[in-house]
Formats: sequence, C-alpha cells, structure tokens
Amino acid sequence: MMARYTLYLAVALWLAILAGLKYLIHPPMPASVLMIYMTLSTLGILLFVAADEARFQAFLAPLKSVFEGRAPLAAQVLVLAGIPLLLGWGAWLRTAPTWDAPFEPRVVHPEPPSSFSLHGRRIETANLKNPLRLPDPVQLEKYTQEGKTIYYQNCFFCHGDALAGDGHFANAFSPIPANFRDVGTISMLQESFVFWRVATGGPGLPKGATPWLSAMPVWQNLLTEEEIWKAILYIYAGSGSTPRTWDEEAGHEKH
Amino acid sequence: MRSTDLLALALAALFAAPLSADAPQVPTEPVKPTPVAADPEAGRRLYDRYCTQCHGAEGKGDGPAAEFVYPRPRDFTLAIFKVRTTLSGQLPTDQDLFHIISEGLPGTSMPAWKKFLTENERWQLVHQVKAFDSLGLFNEEPAKERVVIGAAPEVTPALIAKGKELYQQKKCWQCHGQYGRGDGPSAQGMKDEWGFPIRPVNFTKGWRFRGGDRIEDIYRTFTTGFNGTPMPSFVDAIPAAEDRWALAAFVKSLSRPQKNAQVLKAGHITGEIPADPYAMEWEQAGFADFPLAGQIIKEPRWFKPAHDVITARALYNDKEIALLLEWDDGTQGADQVALQLPVQPAGNEKPYFILGDERRPVDIWRWNAQTGLTRATASGAARQTPRGAGNLSAQGGYRDGQYRVILRRPLKGGEGEVAFEPGGFVPIAFQLQDGDNGEEGLKMALSTWYYLLPQPPMPLSAWFWPLGIGFLALGGELWLARRMRTSARRAA
Ligand code: HEC
Ligand code: HEC
Ligand code: HEC
Repeated sequence: MMARYTLYLAVALWLAILAGLKYLIHPPMPASVLMIYMTLSTLGILLFVAADEARFQAFLAPLKSVFEGRAPLAAQVLVLAGIPLLLGWGAWLRTAPTWDAPFEPRVVHPEPPSSFSLHGRRIETANLKNPLRLPDPVQLEKYTQEGKTIYYQNCFFCHGDALAGDGHFANAFSPIPANFRDVGTISMLQESFVFWRVATGGPGLPKGATPWLSAMPVWQNLLTEEEIWKAILYIYAGSGSTPRTWDEEAGHEKH
Repeated sequence: MRSTDLLALALAALFAAPLSADAPQVPTEPVKPTPVAADPEAGRRLYDRYCTQCHGAEGKGDGPAAEFVYPRPRDFTLAIFKVRTTLSGQLPTDQDLFHIISEGLPGTSMPAWKKFLTENERWQLVHQVKAFDSLGLFNEEPAKERVVIGAAPEVTPALIAKGKELYQQKKCWQCHGQYGRGDGPSAQGMKDEWGFPIRPVNFTKGWRFRGGDRIEDIYRTFTTGFNGTPMPSFVDAIPAAEDRWALAAFVKSLSRPQKNAQVLKAGHITGEIPADPYAMEWEQAGFADFPLAGQIIKEPRWFKPAHDVITARALYNDKEIALLLEWDDGTQGADQVALQLPVQPAGNEKPYFILGDERRPVDIWRWNAQTGLTRATASGAARQTPRGAGNLSAQGGYRDGQYRVILRRPLKGGEGEVAFEPGGFVPIAFQLQDGDNGEEGLKMALSTWYYLLPQPPMPLSAWFWPLGIGFLALGGELWLARRMRTSARRAA
C-alpha cells in the first residue's frame, strides 16, 4: 500500500527538487530564482495531492495522527517542536544581519561617449575603425603578432595567458579583469567601443560603471594609438573571436 | 646466454654492489610508455601560439614577457626540470611534463593548460619541450624508472610531531625558517642553476606550492628535489619513507588556504585593545586575506612585487578602533605598509583606488619599519600632502619571518578624516612595499577597495522575527492539536 507513504513521498519529492536545482544546475541560480521555483514546486505538489480526495486524506493521515495524539510520543514531540524550530530558523536566516558588503550596482558595458580625448585630440567614437585590420592576410598577421608582444608585455598579468581574465594579478582586483574568451565581452562589442575602453581605461568610465574601482589602466598614457589597435587585433585573434560589426548593406548587426 | 654476457653481468654486479648499498631505499617502477607519438609540426605550431611569449621562440626562456615575471620562465635548452617523479638529477618522464603543462605551476605565471588545450595537444607540447634539449639528453639518458609515491599514511598529531623533529634535525629551517616562512639564515642571496636569484618557499602559503600542496606532492618534492635549485633531494638524508611522510605532514600542517573577504570585520571588545600583536585577543579576532597585485597601472610600473597578500584583523571598543596587519617576509629589509581610506565617505562613490583623485582625496596611513608612522592626504599619485599623524598611532615589528603592525585611531573622526561607527562600512585599500626588493613610491603591491566594518554586537531586535514566528507556530499547533483531540474524542 503506497497510500500510507503519501506524505513522506511528497516531502521526499520536494527535497529532491530542491537538491536538484541547487546542486545539479551550473552555474548555480540566484537564491531569488530558486525561491520562485521552490514556491511553484510546493504549489504543484499540494495541488496534485489535493486533486484526489482519497490521496488528500492519505496525505493528511500521518499529520492527523500526530495532532490527535495517536502517533507515538516521540513522533508527536518531533513534529510539534520541529515545525516551530524550522520556521524560526528560516526567519533567522532571512532577517539576521550578515554584515555583507553593501551591494554596488555596476554597469559593465555603459554607453560610450560620442567623443573622447586621445593624446590631446578629440576622437569621434562612432566613426572609429581599426586602421590595421587589413584585407591582406600577411600584413594582418604581422600586426597581430606585434599585438601579441604588446599583450604579453602589458595586459596578460591581468587578462591572463590564455586571455581568460585569470592572469596572476587578477584576483587582487575587483571587478576582475575581463575574460576575452567569454561571449559576454569583446565578441559582442564593436572595435570602436573596445578602443575607447582600452584608450581611456577604468577612469574613463562613466559614473554608473564605478570608474574608481576598475584596475583597467588608461592605456593612452602608456601606448601609442597604433599599439592599442595592434593589441586589439591580438585580443580578438588570441581568444578566437571577432568584433561585432555593422553590416551596412543588410542594415542589421552580425557577428 | 653467452659466457661473455655472464661475465659482464658478474662484473656489473660487482661494481654496482657498493653503489647500491649506498643508494637510498626508494622504491621505483618502470616509466610508462608515452601514449601519443610526436607530430613535430603540430607541436611547433602549438608552441608558437601558446608558449613563445614566455619561453621564447627557441625555448631559451627569453620570450617578450620573460622580463616581467618572477620566477622567470624556464629555459628548456638545458633540460633541467623541477617537478618530477624521477630521482634527483634525472630527467623528468613524459608524464611529468604532461602533468606540469596540464596543471601549471601555482604561484607563478605558468598557467594550467588543461583548461584550454586538449590532451592530444598537451602531449604534442611535451614532445616540443623535449625538442629544445640542446645537449641531446632526452635521447641519451631518458628516465627509465620513476619513484613510487604510494599512499599517504593517516595524518595524526604524532606524525606531525615527528615531522617537526625531523624538520629541526635535517635543518630544513636553515632555508625555510623556523615557522616555515622562508626566512632561514641561509635564505639570503641564493641563485639557481640559470644564475637567477631564488628564494626558499614560504610553507604557510600552500596556494603557492609549485609542485602542489597535497601531502603526496610535498613528499614527492623533497624526495626527488627540484633540479636546478638549492632545494635538494632528501632521500639520502632521510632514507626511511615513513620519516619523509612525517615531514610532509608537518610541512602541510604549516600551510593554510587563503581566506579572502570583501569586508574586514572588526569585533567589539570591552577592555583596552591590546598593544601586543601576539595577544590572545588578536588571535581570537579572526583574520581575512587581501590579495595584492603589482602596481602596473601608472609609471613607474612594478611587475615583480615581493608580496602577494596581506592579512588583516581588526578590533574596536567604545573609544577606538585598531587594525593588525600581518605579512610574511623572508628578508627583514625596510618594509612599508599603507592603509588608504577616503577623506569623506560618499555612499557608493569612492576615490580612485590608487591614491585618490582630484575630486575625492584619500587619507593614507603609512608605517615604515625604519621611519615609523607618517600620514598624508592624496588626490592622485602626484598630489600628496603630508599631514600630522593627529590621534593616529602605530606600533610594529618583525619577528620569525613576519611583520606585524598595529594602527589605531579614535572612532570619532576629526578634521579631514572618516568617523567609524558600529555598523558603518568604511572603504579601505592596502599597499605594501618590500625594502629589499627596491620598492618605493609607486613601486608597490596594492589592492582595490574593500570595506572595514566595526561589527555591532548582534542587536536584540534580531531575535524578534525568529522567536515571534517560532512561538506563533507553536501556539497554532497546540491550538490545533487540542481541537482535533477533543473532536476525535467526541467522535469516538
Ligand atoms: C591591472 C590590470 C589590467 C591590465 C594590465 C589590463 N587590464 Fe583590461 N581590464 C582590467 C579590468 C579589471 C577590467 C574590467 C573592469 C572594466 O571593465 O574596466 C578590464 C577590462 C578590459 C576591457 C573591457 C572588456 C569589456 O567587456 O568591456 C578591455 C577591452 C580590456 N580590458 C583590454 C585590455 C588590454 C588590450 C590591455 C593591455 C593593453 C589591458 N586590458 C590591460 C584590468 C586590466
Ligand atoms: C606567462 C608565461 C608562461 C607561459 C605562457 C608558459 N609558461 Fe611554462 N613556465 C613559466 C614559468 C615562469 C616557469 C618556471 C617556474 C619556476 O621555475 O618555478 C615555467 C616552467 C615550465 C616548465 C618546467 C616545469 C618544471 O617542472 O620545471 C614547462 C615544462 C613549461 N613551463 C611548459 C610550458 C608550455 C608547454 C607552455 C605553452 C603551452 C608554457 N609553458 C607556457 C611561464 C610560462
Ligand atoms: C639549501 C636550502 C634549502 C634546504 C636546506 C631545504 N630547502 Fe626546500 N627549497 C629551497 C628552495 C630555494 C626552494 C624553492 C625552489 C624553487 O623556487 O624552485 C625550496 C622548495 C621546497 C619545496 C617546494 C614547494 C613547491 O613550490 O612545490 C618543498 C616542499 C621543500 N622545499 C621542502 C623542504 C624540506 C622538507 C626540507 C628539509 C628536509 C627542505 N625543503 C630543505 C631550499 C632549501
């Protein structure tokens, strides 16, 4: 007779869903999303149980026997004391102060300015094109290799040997250096945006992007314009990605 | 078997006998065959793409990045390798090279390539690295036997105590220091086989052990030694395997994992905050590690800082707050530590993390082993104005390979300084300089912003919801139980 176990099965199912969502899914979901899924699961299980009168009665039977005093004394104490303790503990977890760092919203890819200053000149961001991205593969390869040298003398400490944002200095910085292999960084950006970021660095960011926190150097103070373009050629080639471009004829964006 | 062969065998046995009597009792096993054959073209292509920048086009360890990292990338032409399972002085096995390329060398710039390259690619790189051997050693005397590491014994306090004794007896402390902080009397001025300065490993920083920080790894490291470095093999000096396991267990017990945090929480105490950095109260205060990086953002850029982490503790009472800053240093030198705070807190907004900016100046507390406490206001690296220490005080010193410095200030803020109050987050950043490494000015290791929090004692109100909800639930249950019992009795 399965009916005797309805309550226990329901609880086991609930715990299994919780464990599955918490441990089997990568990357782990935020607590708020987990909360939504678990609320839905709870409702689902209760609805299923309540849909059939016999099933509902079977589900309630163990609880009834506790509350009516028919269950063994140990079980009565366990349930009557356990439920308030569990609820109190849950409330403690939610309301007790944890003294975590204050939440600091940060826009990762802010709107670039329409123009910015480069070595004392004004540059229009919209018209920027990488002058070294040449159709001739031999020339392109030469500039990319030069960019590689620039990268390993200037950038890899932070952005990593394999361009994965995990250089040997990376964990000293928060926010951490960008991972160029991630689809969420340079492969979704236009080269003009990347140039602006490299040339003006962390301090060049607008306020919403916490310029005071970013360790990204202001590269125009350390590199020439051409060197920056070469480094950009390399970060795309080295990470196996391509810049986002504006396809003028078709009129829509492509990768 | 021909008689000449027999004779040769007998002769060999005769000569070998005295040797093997001396030879250490290390069990070995034949080297496993290499699973993937060399494809020189593929190996070269992969090497050019992933390794030249450090190890150089010809494997001489002179790539464009070589000048910018410590330790230097390896020169492969001499075929000297550190992390091996072969006896001292021997070449590594192909599996050893594969292991290094896959796992990288923690605490150096050499990355773990298993994240980015397939197994087959890594084997091709093994062949490529061997191809740089200019002396032909890999052909002439490849490793045939490898050390059997075996299973680590169970780690008990007795085993660790025995290891501690051996650490004294076998003089590991001469280089690695009494407390394993790399500060032994022989630690200074050592060079490796390639002529570069080298320092003994600090055993407290397990995350930097190049050979890995499992007990098995440590056991292997001093069983086989690091070729090309002053770190010898200890199979002769410590022939019994169980003694070497004891030593490995002791070394492991010195190390701890890094404990990073976003917030340095100052605990509340009632009495005075102790001036002695070794006092119990500080021990109980709990610590947090803050990783540091070279200052490579503004000229002069500093790529090879001596320090990679600072450890901090904090305490406060009703009058004042104090921070205890600790860092290990094998060479006492003239170190300097700095704590940076905003002059005025402004919500989320902070000064630029390197010495502030024009709009938002920072307050910098510096303690120098030679010159003591100084204080400045900075609105950028080039605009620093010294100011009087005011009611800030500091005391610090060096002992057992470690600096400990206490900085203290009243909670109440004076002119141009932040106030501390229980529950209030104050941004802080750290800067550290090693005098022996020529660090001064902007040549330093630094962090970005973290927070210091005088953590209030748990408020009574924190109990309101948990207790309220708990009792409410209990009341509800009792009421329900009562009702159901009466109605059940009535039904019966
Ligand atoms: C001192 C560490 C450091 C160095 C050196 C460094 N960066 Fe960065 N970089 C960062 C950090 C931290 C971020 C993320 C925060 C931000 O966006 O500003 C970043 C972000 C970027 C971004 C933005 C990516 C995006 O998705 O928005 C680009 C592009 C970039 N870096 C390129 C470079 C190049 C090219 C170099 C070398 C010329 C370089 N970086 C050197 C720390 C560094
Ligand atoms: C960012 C620089 C860097 C890159 C890139 C790099 N290495 Fe290294 N490598 C090092 C450093 C530094 C050391 C030496 C560390 C030491 O002596 O403790 C080293 C050491 C080694 C060693 C010797 C390990 C030992 O036990 O002695 C091998 C083998 C090696 N690297 C292979 C490679 C291969 C293959 C690649 C390319 C896939 C590569 N490295 C890429 C920096 C680098
Ligand atoms: C003559 C000085 C000297 C003595 C004595 C010495 N070491 Fe070392 N040890 C070194 C040096 C130098 C290094 C760093 C080698 C390097 O940087 O490549 C080192 C590295 C190590 C490492 C490597 C950690 C890693 O990075 O994986 C271990 C483990 C170690 N030593 C254990 C010992 C033990 C145990 C003893 C005593 C039995 C000992 N050492 C005695 C000089 C010494």
